[in-house]
Amino acid sequence: MKVNYQLIAVGAALALVVGVAAVFLASSDPDGLDSTALITQGQKELTAPANPDAEIDEAILPGSFAYSAPFPDYTLEGAGKLTDVALMAGGILVALAVVLGLGFGIKAFSRAGAP
Amino acid sequence: MHIPDSFIPIGQAAVYWLIALVFIALALRWVRREMSDEKVPLLAVLAAGVFALQAFNIPVTMGTSGHLVGGALVAIVLGSPFAAVFVLSLVLIVQGVLFGDGGLTTMGANIVNMGVIGGFVGYYSYQGLMGLTKSMLASAAGAAWLACFIPALAAAVELAFAGTFPFGPGLVSMGIYHALIGVIEAGITAVVIKLIATARPDILDSSAGVPA
Repeated sequence: MKVNYQLIAVGAALALVVGVAAVFLASSDPDGLDSTALITQGQKELTAPANPDAEIDEAILPGSFAYSAPFPDYTLEGAGKLTDVALMAGGILVALAVVLGLGFGIKAFSRAGAP
Repeated sequence: MHIPDSFIPIGQAAVYWLIALVFIALALRWVRREMSDEKVPLLAVLAAGVFALQAFNIPVTMGTSGHLVGGALVAIVLGSPFAAVFVLSLVLIVQGVLFGDGGLTTMGANIVNMGVIGGFVGYYSYQGLMGLTKSMLASAAGAAWLACFIPALAAAVELAFAGTFPFGPGLVSMGIYHALIGVIEAGITAVVIKLIATARPDILDSSAGVPA
């Protein structure tokens, strides 16, 4: 099977550029779901600007399952921008590798299983 | 619109996981049976791109920001809604497990919203709009907008069932914010598809309507 390494390299490079730019340029305003949650908890009005101190009160929500991700919010406590860039790049490359690995794995498995 | 763990009680979250698993199984079967080996790198590159673009929050006024979701983009480029289910599921797993972006119990709901609903709405509305308008750019933009807006309404309904959002105000707020965020989805999806159609028309699925 011929693998298009050029596509992988160019695509990964483009994704890395966008991801690294996102570390520096992305808005820190809450997303649509979090904004809605803040409204329902009386901490925001629909059209009002974001309050940087507003935080969603998880204790009053119906779900209680909690999981601590190793790098919450794509950062580490006290880390600088360089760490954030490395984590973002790592996430992008893990996503790429997982899809590549699973995709080729399924294809190899189905060939091996074919009569 | 990544729903965190605390937003849905675990029993309801399990129901969305079951629905998600059915579609993940169908997506795996699609990869095995329908997708050619040569498309695996494209699928992986789209996953990397979606991961990066989902981190790029752009302000949409009213103290809110949004980012590309990518369901329509992946489904149109690969020519199947199951491509979106496959890519979005894996991206959501990486985001949830490593970065706490979206919960683990609620990952099923997130896969249903962004992968399944986003992918199917994006793919079929693109096909419908192409038939009507014959314009790749307009169809991609329209399909992508719907593939952001409709999953957001689905999330609002799920969160109303969960008791997290009041039904009416939740729908209104999710709807208004994602009508705006959908413009980002529309713009990026249309531009990326136009770029691929110009630079590498051969990698675009024939169902996208671009002669290779």
